[in-house]
Amino acid sequence: MSPFDLRGPEFLLFYFCFSLAVIGAIVLLRRRAESGGLPRIDLGDPYLIAYLRGGEEEALRVAVVSLVDRGMLVMDGHQIRRADHVTVDMAHRPIERAVLELFITADDVAPVLKDKNLKPVFQPYRDTLERAGLLPDGATRAARLKRLLLGVAALGIVGVIKIQIGLSLERPIGFLVVMMIIAIVIGAALSFPRLTARGKATLEDITNLYSGLRTQINSFSPGGASAELAMYAAVFGVAALTATPFAYAEDLFRRRYGEASASSSCGSSDGGSSSCGSSDGGGGCGGGGCGGCGS
Amino acid sequence: MTGIANAWKNPIRDRVGLGWRRELAVGVLSHLDRIDLVEVIADDLFDAPRSERRALRALSAQTTVVLHGVSLGLASSVPVETKLLEKTARLCEEARPEYWSEHLAFVRGGSVEIGHLTAPPRTDATIEGAASNLERARAVVGSAPLVENIATLIDPPGSDYDEIDWINSIMDSAPCGLLLDLHNLHANATNFGYDELEFLKRLHAERIVAVHLAGGKWVEALGERRLLDDHLHDVPDAVYRLLAELAAVVPHPLTVILERDGSYPLIEVLLRQLDRAREALAEGRLRQFERIEKEAA
Repeated sequence: MSPFDLRGPEFLLFYFCFSLAVIGAIVLLRRRAESGGLPRIDLGDPYLIAYLRGGEEEALRVAVVSLVDRGMLVMDGHQIRRADHVTVDMAHRPIERAVLELFITADDVAPVLKDKNLKPVFQPYRDTLERAGLLPDGATRAARLKRLLLGVAALGIVGVIKIQIGLSLERPIGFLVVMMIIAIVIGAALSFPRLTARGKATLEDITNLYSGLRTQINSFSPGGASAELAMYAAVFGVAALTATPFAYAEDLFRRRYGEASASSSCGSSDGGSSSCGSSDGGGGCGGGGCGGCGS
Repeated sequence: MTGIANAWKNPIRDRVGLGWRRELAVGVLSHLDRIDLVEVIADDLFDAPRSERRALRALSAQTTVVLHGVSLGLASSVPVETKLLEKTARLCEEARPEYWSEHLAFVRGGSVEIGHLTAPPRTDATIEGAASNLERARAVVGSAPLVENIATLIDPPGSDYDEIDWINSIMDSAPCGLLLDLHNLHANATNFGYDELEFLKRLHAERIVAVHLAGGKWVEALGERRLLDDHLHDVPDAVYRLLAELAAVVPHPLTVILERDGSYPLIEVLLRQLDRAREALAEGRLRQFERIEKEAA
């Protein structure tokens, strides 16, 4: 029996299962294509790890925290400034030097985190992580798009055929259209996570390698273990510093975290792709205005 | 160390590494240009979650990894537990270490765990037991471990051999390499009054593959002052001297591991100890080459 002979509710159930299978295939094929062992990268560079985990803003947060801990930036209430004796060339890494440059004029963290002029500083990190297969490069993105288009084609062809049948029989097709759109949106969202599967696994491995820092962090004193502090912030996130002796990080970024939590409470999954959606799953339909599926 | 030894380029590719401890992770991973390899305690990972064992594989992607066991109890007339050997085998399969090692000690009596490495009576029975256990280990794991001499505060009662003869007898009975712990050797020689250089001379130099360096402290034991190998202190000068002596006679490359199990100093302090180990190796190698040249002339 052809699935196109199924009646409305039965076909919707079939289409739901078909969508799950197609989306599952997209995800599985992506993971298989993008997985692999941990490549050799500089695991001693906190900014590389922070960039891998959270992107440019997180790497900048780690840089600011590290510079404050080393006394190169000074907090003054909610303002922040470069210490008087500090020159840009006193910092070791390009990202630190770039941040110190910005604090010649800036007195707040927020504009620094959004400064577009910092983009070139991150290019080496992006290149390194793409070469290592931890972030998607052009070829990976193209492969992802190809898999998504194949999935969309499969979902679309089956859906459109049934819609045409429904229209010819003057049956309602609303539910099917909504289901098609949802399936395609979910497929697209799961096709383009920020990290590759290898990148996600690498991040988990890095978290494990540095897991000892979780117990050590409370024994460190400000200014006494800057390398460990920077790595802790890079691996576990600047937000994880709030219950530690380095809680000043909370003051530094409070406004930004406040903004973030007010606008969205979503977490990230699969290495940065958004997994949040409305609590009703997007499939609700009130008012009795929804259509059915033609048969 | 002499300036010549420092300047002289050691053509034998000795390697110097550090014991992997979570507390040292930042220091180690930030200085892999100065640390040739790391030694991971196998027992810490026997029952660890899969994610932690996966992290070991990640570590081995960054640098050379070797595994070090502490719980097999090879030097015993009692067979090693198959379960432990299987765990070691699984870990070796996952981490693919360059080698694995264990102590010439016993750690349990019957089903009672002693809780530390204990020197067994040096008898024919423990020699045969160790040889048999090493053969079982090789069969289950796929490779024989390097065996390590241990430190002891008491001379094992009921012994028929002295330490060097006992170790050499085991080495003669089993096809395995030796992991020579120089601080254990130094501590035992100090505590029991034998000549550590003579001990070195009598070892089968061609079987020494790796070396452990560590530190210790003086304690009162059985009414006497003893040197305790605690891995909590810096490597003493005497141990560097022993390393130079060893490098002067061993013809092949050595792998040297600095062990530190607590009271962790700044990573720079540990890196300086690795540098001192390299200097000691260079000094010993220079002496070896000078001796060879002299003999050739």
